[in-house]
Amino acid sequence: MRHVIIGTGAAGITAAAEIRKQDKDAEILMISSDSQVHSRCMLHKYLSHERTAGELDFTEEGFFEKNNISVVNGKAAAIDTEMKTVFLESGDEIAYNRLLIATGADSVIPPVGDLRKASNVFGLRHLSDAQKIDAMAEKAQNILIIGAGFVGLDAAYGLLERRKKVTVVEMATRILPLQLDEHGAKAYQELFEKEGVTFRLGRRVQDAVCGPDGQIHSVELDSGESVPCDMIIVAAGVRPSAGFLENSGIKADRGIEVTSRMETSVKDVYAAGDVTGLSGIWPNAMKQGKTAALNMCGVKQIAGADTEYTDTFCAKNTMNFFGLVTLCLGALIPEEGDEVLTEENKRIYRRAILRDGKVRGILLQGDISNSGIWQYIIKNEINVSGKEKKLFRLTFADFFGVGERGKYVWTF
Amino acid sequence: MRRIIVEYEKCDGCKNCSVACMQAHRKTPGTVYDLNLTDPENESRNFIYQADDGTYRPVFCRHCDEPECVMSCMSGALKKDADSGLVTYDEKRCASCFMCVMNCPYGVLKPDRVTNTKVIKCDFCSQDGGEPNCVKSCPKGAIHVEEV
Repeated sequence: MRHVIIGTGAAGITAAAEIRKQDKDAEILMISSDSQVHSRCMLHKYLSHERTAGELDFTEEGFFEKNNISVVNGKAAAIDTEMKTVFLESGDEIAYNRLLIATGADSVIPPVGDLRKASNVFGLRHLSDAQKIDAMAEKAQNILIIGAGFVGLDAAYGLLERRKKVTVVEMATRILPLQLDEHGAKAYQELFEKEGVTFRLGRRVQDAVCGPDGQIHSVELDSGESVPCDMIIVAAGVRPSAGFLENSGIKADRGIEVTSRMETSVKDVYAAGDVTGLSGIWPNAMKQGKTAALNMCGVKQIAGADTEYTDTFCAKNTMNFFGLVTLCLGALIPEEGDEVLTEENKRIYRRAILRDGKVRGILLQGDISNSGIWQYIIKNEINVSGKEKKLFRLTFADFFGVGERGKYVWTF
Repeated sequence: MRRIIVEYEKCDGCKNCSVACMQAHRKTPGTVYDLNLTDPENESRNFIYQADDGTYRPVFCRHCDEPECVMSCMSGALKKDADSGLVTYDEKRCASCFMCVMNCPYGVLKPDRVTNTKVIKCDFCSQDGGEPNCVKSCPKGAIHVEEV
């Protein structure tokens, strides 16, 4: 049995490890378009020079040798599902028995002005992006970042450490608009501003013209303001990396369509991670990878683990900028009829959105100790009626139960 | 694998286990008699909570069979050791994203109080031969180690 996995990110690596766990004899071959395994969640630490490229590797030392996994460097160009063959851009052909597509996603550069053709405009998604940004940052002083989501602020953080002058343009009226409310966003905005970042909120880039050197030296905002820049980082979203599937017969819309067993529309072809468009969250990608692997190995049932992807909740994030930590789960904006509880002091901010005795969303800033219970409470829609007064002080003790072999179980 | 089994009915909330944990993981030399309980550097990895009826619930890391914390770790810092079954944490690899804190269904994990850069997590007192000091210190027998 030959398992081929395209992609060495969270989903691909987790799948490879799980396949090896299930089948010690199967052949496992991974196709990687990266120069080395890296965690994209740590790219900002590469930009800031806190970590080397090697230190972005999230696999254990000797992972591929220990697990007898071979790696082919290259980019998949097409798949022939009849011949069960992956064609690489290099022209090489790789045959498979079971295939996992875990190619992730790519940055979207909006078609504004010359953004797509300028040589000083980058996304921040892969190590190769970070390396290009890093090289250009040797000379560039004024950095423009488009988008104040996670990636944009990660980029800002990394380049601040390099003492660059950073301007961030964001369409929404607050930073981290998908993760935080006004109050929570303000706390981070102040921290970034204190470090020297300039924000242009509620603004978009309207035009950007290349100079004769092929670079953009200033952009024009919709306010008419012109912002000078030596380099532009676009952090305005991603798109599943599924372009090479055209004519393969594998159904894809925004992402590759999958069943709960991570099967695509074509037999023996599976997909997991960001390429499915199901979530952009690392833990979910790992679970999808594991689910795919179990099913690729024909495991239909396994003690203690799911062979179907059922833990689909993905409205979850944690962040940590300048030592200020935040957890945000579930609904972000209260709707009419929702009850909102808040608690605040100099150090912390807590906000819960409740409806019909259930917590729809929670935001904890400043102290996220022991906050793991909230994901469970929200995704399982646990009724907390009568507990509102001590809501922010709930712990697992309020749902405590002990099951077989000393495991904890939730009781409610 | 070995796990700390909790019999909460026997717990009387003395928190000897929490003090033993703080002592076992303190960075300064000394005995439990000079352990500074108010120093934020000294944190317990286990938690004793009082329930609404006045009885106690010990919440300790389960070193889960299918650890949600490991399944959220983007740096490779958290691992399930295939031989011992323990969920280990490598502070040097950790990138302080705290997705593990978010993912632990029992709310056992937390960022460190002083720097918010490390995860406070049970290590089964590997520095003391893997015999947890909390268990040794419990006067009620409410926690014990069992091969599960």
